[in-house]
Amino acid sequence: MTIQARDLKKWKSSVGLMLLVDLFLACSAIAQSPAAYPTRPISIMVPSIAGGGTDVGARILAAVAEKKMGQPLVVVNKPGAGTQVGFTELSRQKPDGYYLGFVLLPQINTIILDPERKAIFNFDSFVPIINQVVDAGLIWVRAGSPYKTLKELIDDAKKRPGEIRASTTGILSDDHLAILMMEQAAGVKFRIVHFDGGPQQLTATLGGQVDVSFDNVGVINARIKAGVVRGLAVMDKERSKFLPEIPTTPELGYPAVVSSSTRGVMGPKGVPEPIIKKIQEVFLEAMKNPEHMDKMDKAALAVKPMVGEEYAKFFREMHERCKPLVEAVVKAR
Amino acid sequence: MDALQYWIQGFSVALQPTNLLYAFIGCVLGTLIGVLPGLGPAAGTAILIPVTFSLDPIGALIMLAAIYYGAMYGGTITSVLVNVPGEAASVITCLDGYQMAKQGRAGPALGIAAIGSFIGGTFATLALMVVSLPLANFALRFGPPEVFALLVVGLSLVTGLSGRSLLAALIMTAFGLILAMIGMDPVRGAPRFTFGIPPLYDGIGFIPVVMGLFGVGEIFLSMEAPVLEIIKTKLNDLWPKREELGISAKAIGRGTVIGFFLGLIPGIGAIIPTFLAYVVEKKVSKHPEKFGTGVIEGVASPETANNSYANGAMVPLLTLGIPGSPTLAVIMGAFIIHGLTPGPFLFKERPDVVWGLIASLYLGNVILLILNLPLVGLWAKLLEIKYQYLYPGILLFCILGAYSLNQSVFDVGVMVGFGVLGYIFRKLDWPLAPTVLALILGPMMERALRTSLEMSGGDLSILVTRPIPAVLLIIAVIVLASPAVRLLGKRAGKDD
Repeated sequence: MTIQARDLKKWKSSVGLMLLVDLFLACSAIAQSPAAYPTRPISIMVPSIAGGGTDVGARILAAVAEKKMGQPLVVVNKPGAGTQVGFTELSRQKPDGYYLGFVLLPQINTIILDPERKAIFNFDSFVPIINQVVDAGLIWVRAGSPYKTLKELIDDAKKRPGEIRASTTGILSDDHLAILMMEQAAGVKFRIVHFDGGPQQLTATLGGQVDVSFDNVGVINARIKAGVVRGLAVMDKERSKFLPEIPTTPELGYPAVVSSSTRGVMGPKGVPEPIIKKIQEVFLEAMKNPEHMDKMDKAALAVKPMVGEEYAKFFREMHERCKPLVEAVVKAR
Repeated sequence: MDALQYWIQGFSVALQPTNLLYAFIGCVLGTLIGVLPGLGPAAGTAILIPVTFSLDPIGALIMLAAIYYGAMYGGTITSVLVNVPGEAASVITCLDGYQMAKQGRAGPALGIAAIGSFIGGTFATLALMVVSLPLANFALRFGPPEVFALLVVGLSLVTGLSGRSLLAALIMTAFGLILAMIGMDPVRGAPRFTFGIPPLYDGIGFIPVVMGLFGVGEIFLSMEAPVLEIIKTKLNDLWPKREELGISAKAIGRGTVIGFFLGLIPGIGAIIPTFLAYVVEKKVSKHPEKFGTGVIEGVASPETANNSYANGAMVPLLTLGIPGSPTLAVIMGAFIIHGLTPGPFLFKERPDVVWGLIASLYLGNVILLILNLPLVGLWAKLLEIKYQYLYPGILLFCILGAYSLNQSVFDVGVMVGFGVLGYIFRKLDWPLAPTVLALILGPMMERALRTSLEMSGGDLSILVTRPIPAVLLIIAVIVLASPAVRLLGKRAGKDD
């Protein structure tokens, strides 16, 4: 055998060994006393592709928190079907605190509420642990668009019902719900076009395929700074600290149009209380850490920790708010 | 930023020591895969994708691309020394290359192949640099209807050019499209063909399928293959005779042009360029009757064409997001795994990735020349490894790799299942390329079609009232209906 072949074999077998070790670690899920938690690496599931807003936030948090946790926090991406694949995965895990997941509101609510999704989990399948981000919704157009303000857009939409193309990053995502709220509040009708995610939506909007797009501040902030797109309104009660020059929907006369993507850590139902406490303690401290704050600021992700009952209440209220909206969508089919 | 700045940026990325190392590892692995008969570049890249998981996206793509064109180099060695193509694109090389080896001239045959591959690859990369930016900027204006029509053209080319029977190719395309529909409806989110099995909600994974069809399937098939007889020859003198150099230079020039331009057409596959280059060389030759008896231009021209093709075929992948062959589909899969979608947008979004990759193609050709010319004897020795040691190892590696994709045993089952299917399809001589391409393009096609219909409020005429989709759809019909394309397809035969 030649030198290359031998080296290759060695290299191959070392990769193989690493995989086997992983396998072993995954299999050795022996029940351990909560007091000793954690005694092995903790997986943190992200229900979307690497590099997206959720993923960026999760990796920043994991990097800061694992120092305090004493065990590695491993981010695992489980993308698919508008986050449904990841949530399905999370709901099926053993509730021992070694598999946690990032859950997106309102996506999880709409998936549960929409009978067509046939989700195998429900509202009680998850236990809210701690929230990390509230990313406010944003209405935006390409830089060359005729719409300079939200008012110009709405005025035109009134003249041409069902003709102005408004895009989302997925059916029944927060962006989709935001369009429905806007339609209701302004008495207009858009022609709704769904894209798979931020990058696709951006290409189509820049290429003039759609007239207006609904997404979040964290995703689109850098484009506004680069001058390629124009923000019309932030769908929040207060102005975004990342885009202070852009007015909010309530300021512009639409107090009911408030939308955001809320992302936090949940576990499968049944995680023991002491373990939840420990995670909350470590993650909350990590979120307040200057390193975390600084990196999140750079990514334009607005940190909003919510712990325990506060987060659970938010989750419940979001579910109630989504019900009529999803029902309207289901009826419209 | 103008083109020159992008090129400089690309080279600064590709020249980073780690990226150079990945390119080097990729070139070594690619040559190895090329040398081993049975394992083609599609199988090689698919099997090795899990290894590139932990790398950053640029490093992973540089390595996979290096495996791809490295295999084009390596395949020659087996063709010349054993008269069995190491991978499909080296079939033609057997004709004159093996004859040269029998005459004791394996050295010059491999030498000119390496030099021709280097020149072809290098010039094609230069051409790629020149055409890709304008093309990407043009494609940036494409909306969903244009994208849908373009994907239809790409898929019909692959279908029309695959194998002997159009019916078999159409069946395999439909099979791929149906596989692509398993999982969540991409727009509405409703599960389709999932039978309540949770892993199916995520659809059938592209990488396990390709690993199965190409990797495992080929290993099954190789078990039936006879033991190779290798020509023992001295490989000391790699330089062709003085009078052969002039002829070779012209052959290399023609091979470069043929390979690059055919590479621009998705679905052509690597065999047609080599075949065409050989035929052209025979036509212009003063002694066409000597072809097949060991003339050097019969090696130089197709070997140049296949490497030029390999780089040219990067153009539709990078600028339009259309992979022209199963190997490029695997590389596209690697982009997607790393959260990048090849296509015009990537030129704007991640110029470091695009231009770093392109620059690495250029450097990879240099690395391969260095690897091949002095070390050709070492590679030839690899042919002596016994299958019974090699293939169980590769099979184990496939299983571990498939598991590591998502830590899912289901994926391992998918890979093994498709390995069996791949073996059966090969036995039936049904082409695998249309299935693989349909599987990766299907979700995009469906998305583009449905988004188009959302844009038009449900009116199908949006596909014909816009000029670009209308023209593209007419081309697709011509491709499938035209006998000339069928004739080419019959020549294409094998997949990679």
